[in-house]
Amino acid sequence: MDDFVIEMLGITKDFPGVRANDDVNLQLRRGEIHALLGENGAGKSTLMSVLFGLYQPDRGRILMNGKEVRINSPNDANALKIGMVHQHFKLVEVFTVLENIILGAETTRLGLLRKDEARKRVMALSENYGLKVDPDARIEDISVGMQQRVEILKMLYRDNEILIFDEPTAVLTPQEIDELMGIMRSFAREGKSILFITHKLNEIMAVADRCTVLRKGRLMGTVNIGDTDTHKLSRLMVGREISFTVDKKNLEPGETVLKVKGVTVPSKLHKKNAVKDVSFSVRRGEIVCLAGIEGNGQTEFVSALTGLEKISGGQVTLKGRDISQATVRGRSVAGMSHIPEDRHKHGLILDFTLQDNLVLQRYWEGAFQNRGVIRGNEVRAYAEKLIAQYDVRAGEGPDTFTRSMSGGNQQKAIVAREMDLGRDLLVAVQPTRGLDVGAIEYIHSQIVRARDEMRAVLLVSLELEEVMNVSDRILVMYEGEIVGEFRPHEVSVQELGLYMAGAKRMEREGVRA
Amino acid sequence: MIILADILNATVLFAVPLILVALGGMFSERSGIINIALEGIMIVGALVSCLFLSAVDKSGFGPANPQLSMLLAILIASVSGMVYSALLAFASINLKANQTIGGVALNMLAPAFAIVLTWAIQGQGNTTIFIPTWTRISAESIGVTDISTFLPRFLFKSFYLTTPAALLLLLASILVLYRTRLGLRLRSCGEHPQAADSVGINVYKMRYIGVLISGFLGGIGGLAFTLAAGSGFQSQVAGYGFLALAVMIFGNWKPLNIFLASLLFAFFKILGSYSSSIPFLPQFKGIASSEYIYMMLPYVVTMIVLILSSKKSRAPKAEGIPYDKGMR
Amino acid sequence: MTKKRRFSFRGMDSLIASVVSTLAGLLFGFILLLIFNPAKAGNGFLNILLTGVRSTPRLAKVLYTAAPLMMTGLSVGFAFKTGLFNIGASGQFTMGAFLALTGAISWQLSWPMCLLLGILGGAVWGAIPGICKALFNVNEVITSIMFNWIGLFTVNVLTYNNPVMLASAWGDVSKERTAALAKANLDAILPKLGMDKLMKFNGMNIAIFITVIVAVIIWFILQKTTFGYELKACGFNRNASQYAGINPRRAIIQSMVIAGALAGLGGGLYYLSGTVQLTLGKELSAMGFNGIPVAMLAASHPIGTIFSALFISYIQVGGDAMQPEFAREMIDIIIAAIIYLSAFSLLMRELLGHAKKRRQQVLETVEAPEDKPNANGGESA
Repeated sequence: MDDFVIEMLGITKDFPGVRANDDVNLQLRRGEIHALLGENGAGKSTLMSVLFGLYQPDRGRILMNGKEVRINSPNDANALKIGMVHQHFKLVEVFTVLENIILGAETTRLGLLRKDEARKRVMALSENYGLKVDPDARIEDISVGMQQRVEILKMLYRDNEILIFDEPTAVLTPQEIDELMGIMRSFAREGKSILFITHKLNEIMAVADRCTVLRKGRLMGTVNIGDTDTHKLSRLMVGREISFTVDKKNLEPGETVLKVKGVTVPSKLHKKNAVKDVSFSVRRGEIVCLAGIEGNGQTEFVSALTGLEKISGGQVTLKGRDISQATVRGRSVAGMSHIPEDRHKHGLILDFTLQDNLVLQRYWEGAFQNRGVIRGNEVRAYAEKLIAQYDVRAGEGPDTFTRSMSGGNQQKAIVAREMDLGRDLLVAVQPTRGLDVGAIEYIHSQIVRARDEMRAVLLVSLELEEVMNVSDRILVMYEGEIVGEFRPHEVSVQELGLYMAGAKRMEREGVRA
Repeated sequence: MIILADILNATVLFAVPLILVALGGMFSERSGIINIALEGIMIVGALVSCLFLSAVDKSGFGPANPQLSMLLAILIASVSGMVYSALLAFASINLKANQTIGGVALNMLAPAFAIVLTWAIQGQGNTTIFIPTWTRISAESIGVTDISTFLPRFLFKSFYLTTPAALLLLLASILVLYRTRLGLRLRSCGEHPQAADSVGINVYKMRYIGVLISGFLGGIGGLAFTLAAGSGFQSQVAGYGFLALAVMIFGNWKPLNIFLASLLFAFFKILGSYSSSIPFLPQFKGIASSEYIYMMLPYVVTMIVLILSSKKSRAPKAEGIPYDKGMR
Repeated sequence: MTKKRRFSFRGMDSLIASVVSTLAGLLFGFILLLIFNPAKAGNGFLNILLTGVRSTPRLAKVLYTAAPLMMTGLSVGFAFKTGLFNIGASGQFTMGAFLALTGAISWQLSWPMCLLLGILGGAVWGAIPGICKALFNVNEVITSIMFNWIGLFTVNVLTYNNPVMLASAWGDVSKERTAALAKANLDAILPKLGMDKLMKFNGMNIAIFITVIVAVIIWFILQKTTFGYELKACGFNRNASQYAGINPRRAIIQSMVIAGALAGLGGGLYYLSGTVQLTLGKELSAMGFNGIPVAMLAASHPIGTIFSALFISYIQVGGDAMQPEFAREMIDIIIAAIIYLSAFSLLMRELLGHAKKRRQQVLETVEAPEDKPNANGGESA
C-alpha cells in the first residue's frame, strides 16, 4: 500500500463556459515532491485552489490519510495543515512581515495581539530554514524574493505539513531557484509533502519525485521522474514537442532607431532612483531584450521611455529626434508602439468593445474621425480587418466587450493594434505573460516578423527562456542599472543569472553604441 | 479668558460628533466599504434617541434619572445607527451594489423618513423634537457652584454625557484597530481582501463588522450633533456626515489624526460666532453680512490642508471594490 | 448596424431594471401610506400617481421642475461617465443661479446672456474640484462638498454687498431673497411663448425644451465624438487612457467643467423663470442634490435622464397634493427606495448578462474569460 497523504479523486470543476478540471485524480505521497505540470490554462491552479478550499469542486472527493475530508474554506485547509504559496503573493503591502505572517493565525491575551511571542517563533523558523526576513519591514519595501520567503514562513508558522507552491520560480533568478529547491528538499526530508506547480520541465527534472500532467483540464497521467525525460513530459503537456527555438533568419541590423543616453528615473516607492544612468541603442532589424528580475527598474524605465512618467536626467532619441520631453502621443506619432506589461491596467479598456479598443491609439486620426465625430463605419471596418488578419477570437466580433475575452485573445488584440500602427520601434513588455504555448508561439512569431520587416524591437522579459530564444542582443538590468550586455549564443543561463542577481557586472563603456 | 473658555467648550462640543462619525467612517473604509451614508445614519440615530428622550421626559423617568436616561439614549442611538447601516452593508456586501449609490439612497431616505415619522407622532407640521434641558450635565450637579473661572467654564458651559463617551470610544478605537485580532483582520480586508481570504478570514463578515461599527458610532454622532446644535432635532444634521468624511480623509484614516482634525475643524467653525468679541480678528466692517465669511472658514481651511497633505494621503487600497468570493 | 443592436440590448437591460425598481419603490411607498394612515392611503397614492395629469397647470408644473432637475441630473451623470462623483451640483447650481441673476438684476442683461453667465458660474465652480483632483489628487467628493458650502456663503456675501440685488431694493419687504424679475428686469425672464396662458401656469416657459436639447447634445458628445470617447476611456480606466495618449488630468478637469456648466445652466433656467427668487440662507440647494437620484435612476444615460427627471418631478408634484394628510417627504422616501432597489435590479441584470454571456461563450470558445482586474497571469479561472 502506498502511503498517500492526500488523494484527490475524480475532481471536476466548471466555470461559466469552461470545464477547468475534468475528472482529475492526484495522489500525493508523504514526504515526496510532486510536480503538477501543465501549460497556462490547463487547470493546475484550479485544482490546487480546490485542495486549498478556495473553490468547491462540482464532483469528486478528497481523501486525507485515506479518510474523506471536506475543504470548504482556507480555514479547513489550514486545519488539515495544508498551506499554499500563491503565484500572486497574498500579502498585505502596508503590513509588516510579522503582521502578514500572523494574519489569520493570531494569538491573543486579554483580546490583545501577542506580537512578541509571534516574533520569537518567526525568528526561530527563519533561522532554522535559512529563510532570512526582516520582521518589521513593510512588504511594499522588500524584494520579491523576500516576499516569497514571507509566504513560506506563513506556512511554517501554521505548522503545515502539505505545502503547495504555485509557480514559485517565476520571480527568481537561477541561483535563487537552486536555493528554493534546496529548501523544498529539506522540507521533504522532514516528512512534509510538497506539491509543486510549474510549466518548466527542467525544474521538474531537477527536484521532483513524481509528476502529474494536466492538459486542457484533463489528467494526462502521473509519471515517475526517474522513468521520463523532458521530451516525454512536453508531449504529455501540449500533445506535441515544443519547439524551444524561434525561427529567425539572419539579418544585418540597420540604422539606429532608438538611442537612450544616461536616462535616470526617480522611484515612487523610495527616495532613490529606480533607473540610473541607462544608455543603449536599438537598431532596425534587431530584437534587444532587457532582462532582469521583477522590480529592478524595468517597469519604471519603460514608463519613462513611453512617456507615461517623466525622466529626471538623460536623453531619449527616436530616429534622431530628441523625444525626452514628448508626450505619450507625441512619441507614438514619432514612431513608437508599446505592448504594455499589464494588459488590464494599461493595454485595454475592458469596458469598451473590441473595436473601440482596436482604435485606441488612432481614434483621433483623420481616417476614423471627422471634426471630432467618430466615423463608426470606418472603425468597424478597420476592426474587422484586424480581427481577421490577426485571428482574434471574440464572440460578438467587433462588438464584444473585451472583458469577456480570454487572456490570449486580449493579448492578440493588443498585438494586432500595436503591430498595425506600423511604427519603427516596438516596445514589448512581457508580451507572453500568462499565455498558453500556442499563444506564446504566435506572439513570438509576430515579434520576429516585426524584426524581419526591419523594425527595431525592445523586448522586456522576465522569462529567461524567452530572453535566450527570441533576442538578438541581451541587456541585463539590476537595481536600475544595465550591468551586462550579451549575445544570446555567447552566454549561459547560469551566467545571466549571476548578473541578474547583481553578483557580477560588466563595464560596458566600449559597447555603448 | 472666559471667552477662550467658551470658545474651547463650543469647539469640543462640535468636535464630538465629528470625531465619532469620522471614526465610524474610518472603520467602514478600513474594512473596504466606502460609507457615504454617514449623514443618513446620523439622522436615524438622532431621530430614535431624541424620540426616546422626549418620551422619558414626558413619563417623568428622565428628569428623575437624567444621566441614566442619557446613557440609554446613547445606546439606543448606537443600536438604531447599526440597524440602519446594515442596509448599506447588505447592498454593498451581499448584493455587491455600487457603494456610492446605496449610500445616496440611504442619505435621502433618512431625513424624509424622520419628517414623515415626526409628523405622524407629533402632528402635522411639528417637525422639531425638543431636547429636554435635564440632559445637560451642569456644574451644580457635581457640586461646583462657581463657573465664572476658566476651567469650570470650559468644562461645563455645555457638557453632555456624549463627550466623555466620545473620548472613551476614541481610545477604544485606537486599541481595537491597532492592537487586536479584529483590527488586524479588518484592516487586511480593506487593503487586500484576497490575502485575507486566503488565510481563512471571512471578508464578508469583517466588512459587515466595519459597516456596523460605523453605524454604531454614526448613530451616537447624530445624537451628539443634535445636542450641540441646541435647537432640537429637525430631521437633519446640517451636512455633518459629509464633513465627517472630509475629516476622515483629512485625518488619513487614522484615529488620532481624525481626533486632531475634528478639533481643528470645529475650532474654525466656532471662531465665526465669536469673531465680534475677539479683538484681533478682522471684523470686515465695510462688508455687509460678514458672518458668512467666517462660516466659510472651516471649509476653506479643510481644503487648504487637504491640498497640502494630498501627497501623504493614502486610502485603504481595496475600498469601494466589492469582494466576490468567486473571483479570486 | 450591429453596433446599434448592442446598445439597445444594454439599454434594454437598464430600462427593465429601472422600471422594475420604480414599480417596487412605488409599492413600498403605498405600503408606508397604509401603515401611517390606512383610511387616506388609497387617496394619497392616487394623488401621487395622477396629480400630474389631472390638470394642465399641474402638468406645466411637472415640466417646470423637471427642467432644472434634468440639468443637475445630467451634471451628475456626465461626471459619473468619467469616473467622477459630482456631489457638488448643488453649489454649481447655486453659483449658476447667482451669476444669472446678477446679470439679470444688477447688469440688466437679457435672458440669453444671463443663461450664459449661469453656465459660466457653474463651470467655474465645477472646475475647482476638477483641478484639485487632477493636480493634487484630492478626492472630488470631499472638494465638491466643501465647495457646496463655500459657494453658498460666497453667494450670500456677494449678494448682500450688492444691495440692488435684493428684493427690498425693488419695493418688496424681504431682505432675504433676490429681487423678483417681474419688477427688476422683464427681459431676463425666459420666453413663455404663450404657454403660460395656455396651460394656466405662470412658470411654464421654454426651459424644458432647452434641457431636452441639451440632453441630446450630451448624449451625442458621449456616444459619437472623440471627445466623449476620451472622457469615457478616462472614466473606465485612467491608466489605459494615459497609455493611449489621452491626458487624464485634462479629461478630469474638462469633465468637471462641463458637469458644472450643466448644473449652472440648471440654476439659470430655474431662477430666470421669474416665478422663484433665490433665498439667501444657510441651507444648500436641494435641487442640486436631487440631481443624484435623477442620474442614478437613469443609469447616467443622458436620454434616460430626460425621463427620470420627468418622473421624479411628476411624483413630487403628486406629493405636494398629498398634503396635509401626508408629508410631501413621502416622495423622497419612495425615490430613495427606488434607488436602493435599483441595487437589486443591478444584480438581476448582472445575472441576466452572465447567463447570456455564458451561452455565447460555450458556443464561441472554450477559453476562459479573463476579466479579473489583477489576474494578469496564470490560469486562475
